[in-house]
Amino acid sequence: MLTLILLLFLGGAIVTWLGNKLSPVVGDLLFLATIIIPAGMFFTGVTVGEVTHLHALGLTLTWGLTPLSYLFSMIVVGLGILLAIYAVPFMKGKQKTGAFYFNFTLSVMSMLGILVSKDWVSFFIFWEIMTWSSYLMVVLNGKDVQRVGIKYFVFSAIGAYAMLMAMVIMNSQLGSFLLADTFNNFQHLTTGNQILIPILLLVAFGVKSAMMPLHVWAPDAYSNAPMAYTGLFSGALSKMGIYGMVLVMVTMINQLPEGTLIRDIIAWIGGFTAAAATLWAITQDDGKKLLAWSSVGQMGYIIVGVAIGTPLAMLAAMFLVVVHAMFKGSLFMVVGAIEKQTGTTNFTEINGLIRKMPWTFISALISVIALAGIPPLAGFVSKWMLYEALIQNNNYILVILLFFASTAGFLYCYKFLHGYFLGQEEPEWAHVKEAPVAMVIPMVLLALGNFVLGTFPQLIFKPIDAAMQFAGYDATGGRLWGESVLFTEWGDVVTLQPILYAVLAVFVFFALFLWFKGTKGTRYVSTKDISTSGELPKEWENLTFKVNFMQPFERAIEPFLKRQIDKYYTAFGNGMEALFEFTRRIHTGNGQTYAIYAILFLALLLLFRVNLFG
Amino acid sequence: MEYILIKVLEAMATFVLAFIVGMTYGGVVRKITGRVHNRLGPPWYQNFIDAFKLFSKTRGIHHGAMHFLGAAFLMVTSVVSLMIIPILAPGGHAWYNSWFTNLNFNGDLIFLIYIMTFGPLGMAMGAGQTGNPNSSIGVTRGLSQMVGFEIPWVMALVALMITYKTTSIVDFMNIQRETGTWLMFANPFAFIAAVLAMLGMFRYSPFDIVGAPTELASGPVSENGGKFLFTMMSSGSVFTFAKLVLYVDLFMGGANNLIMLVVKTFLLYMIPVLYGIVSPRYRTEQAVRWFWGWPTFIGLLAILYAVMF
Repeated sequence: MLTLILLLFLGGAIVTWLGNKLSPVVGDLLFLATIIIPAGMFFTGVTVGEVTHLHALGLTLTWGLTPLSYLFSMIVVGLGILLAIYAVPFMKGKQKTGAFYFNFTLSVMSMLGILVSKDWVSFFIFWEIMTWSSYLMVVLNGKDVQRVGIKYFVFSAIGAYAMLMAMVIMNSQLGSFLLADTFNNFQHLTTGNQILIPILLLVAFGVKSAMMPLHVWAPDAYSNAPMAYTGLFSGALSKMGIYGMVLVMVTMINQLPEGTLIRDIIAWIGGFTAAAATLWAITQDDGKKLLAWSSVGQMGYIIVGVAIGTPLAMLAAMFLVVVHAMFKGSLFMVVGAIEKQTGTTNFTEINGLIRKMPWTFISALISVIALAGIPPLAGFVSKWMLYEALIQNNNYILVILLFFASTAGFLYCYKFLHGYFLGQEEPEWAHVKEAPVAMVIPMVLLALGNFVLGTFPQLIFKPIDAAMQFAGYDATGGRLWGESVLFTEWGDVVTLQPILYAVLAVFVFFALFLWFKGTKGTRYVSTKDISTSGELPKEWENLTFKVNFMQPFERAIEPFLKRQIDKYYTAFGNGMEALFEFTRRIHTGNGQTYAIYAILFLALLLLFRVNLFG
Repeated sequence: MEYILIKVLEAMATFVLAFIVGMTYGGVVRKITGRVHNRLGPPWYQNFIDAFKLFSKTRGIHHGAMHFLGAAFLMVTSVVSLMIIPILAPGGHAWYNSWFTNLNFNGDLIFLIYIMTFGPLGMAMGAGQTGNPNSSIGVTRGLSQMVGFEIPWVMALVALMITYKTTSIVDFMNIQRETGTWLMFANPFAFIAAVLAMLGMFRYSPFDIVGAPTELASGPVSENGGKFLFTMMSSGSVFTFAKLVLYVDLFMGGANNLIMLVVKTFLLYMIPVLYGIVSPRYRTEQAVRWFWGWPTFIGLLAILYAVMF
């Protein structure tokens, strides 16, 4: 069944690509069928625990589904379906639709492939397909290929080589490519290898999950890919890094005596990623870039949770993995819808879309509240659990860092909403309409999902619990969570249902209180209705405060913003270029120079012939 | 059904209490400020008159849906915080004690920190819809300042949490009742850091950068009159009261009856008020950096103290 699903994706990708050459409509339909039919088969036909063996090229590939990979593949497939529905109207009238569909399908297939791989060979193959398909997406629009594409590619290559090296060492020492074998026989490796292999693997997975200092590719790549794909890129593809990290953490690191130290280091890297990426997000003026940095930051939280690794922290991280896919998927869809309808994503250019795109606004609002971690939405559940876990695990300073990151996160959350939806409306954007229904429905659905999970997180905790039990944790149901209740081992409790009802009751009461006689008999003032005290602004003058929006805060954190790892990489790259310049003097590409080399070499041989040949 | 009805009535009683105390405090502060400025100042009940007047006013214009919802968001924060924070200590035996339990056992400190940000964010959305640049400027200032004071505030709370291994406010009050020591003496650094953060939280000078008066400006109309101002004013009063009670609960052992509650909260309230009256105003980045200076250092000391002892 698994093989069939993967083959359907692969075949569908090719057929869609060919069909799209025939006619765009055929391509659209084939694309939807390619995603939805195997996805439906996955949800109905696949059982956790089934294993298939595949013999090819003298190797035995083993595929199967574990509870852990089932959790992640639910994200991949679920998000894949919604984004596929969204992508069809999004790509309408755009160029390279065929290539988009092809790579989209391949990405979904490769991610599913990674998750079902039970041996390193197929893991690596699917990993590379994933990297390639996402790379082609990043450079799809042909902008900034030099800068963005190459950056993504170099870092992916670093990760791939690290993983390849780890694989080769493991195979040569243990004689097996099976994941289970390498994890179980980990103790048989030499001490040096026991340290080296997890670190190599963590580098490989750290690149994909945009862990600092390997994150440099992420903001550019996320914002350069088509928005219909970025939801998948940030929501699911980066989670493959987390999946790998979880595997390494619960198997290899747990067996190491230095495990706690490595865990602490990774947790601190994660915390720093969260804080620094948040500050960078605040300074962005482009919605895509802002969300891209925010994705990097959210991955930081997840990495902290995975690295700390107590049951509560793991639960928080896994919950955030699911929820992040939902709210970030929705937010990237919002940006995509705005890009589609207005042609730009820059805050300083667009104003006041709230009345023109109300559904987009509602999904953006709900998703942003979830992103900020404000109750009663889903983001709060993971934040609460993560903080409790950190405090109980004695990571006091780290928890302060994360609190800082999450409070500073409010700044970019507001900047995002204000940037697109609020402010003075301009006649320039008077023609803007709400996005097509097929684009609105997926994003509203994802936003509503955040709302539901905020009060009924047990819906997701059940599969997470199964995954964690597979990874060697004790059952957490009833101990750390219940029906709409969160617990900790200290006995702290948050009951979500009464809070939701209180919030709703107060909100509805006061909204009605203000609304009553609020609109009837009163005049609607548009944002162009100017009151004046002397100087009268002209009709064309836009007074919205957008440029340098968070300037006071940016001034406060100025010393930090001067430091950028990107600059160091650039300096390193320039240094390497100087080295290459030097080698180019030798490898000139000129035939005559090479002829001289050959003659010199012969002359040397003649000179030292006695020493060399006796 | 009856149970829910009683719960709602109790919640309303709590709200009325918070409203009355908060409004009175507001009036008294205006009086004190006036006297310090060598003016007579308005009477202490002036805020009630204002509120009544605002409530009975009708409006001529409206700004759109988000503007309505913004003020409602603000009220959610005030009321839900008030429901979560225990008003009276669990050991008290006054006949009205059970009225004020509300949702005390349903949330903890970390929940409270997050629900407290819900309202300002919603209000900011409402303000943004009017299109007036001054609204947006105020919002960015307020959010920046929040990032500033949140650091020492959270540090103080974390220091308490790691000493007593709980995040529940009720537990903190029980601990103080059992040991007989107020937490402001048990971990003085935490108290100092929390009080310094409080200066920013209450937005009196030198941290009144959000409500800073500006010159009369030309631009899009932004009118928050009538019921809007009434809602915002009552939300402000209720929220002030809730925050004061939280400080009393955490550091001063809570209060067994309403009289002690009023005395303790009033004394605590005078810290930001009196400091504010004699202070000029900071710029935004100065305010943010101020909080990341000494208050954060004292917060670190509080955590060190909690870890060591």
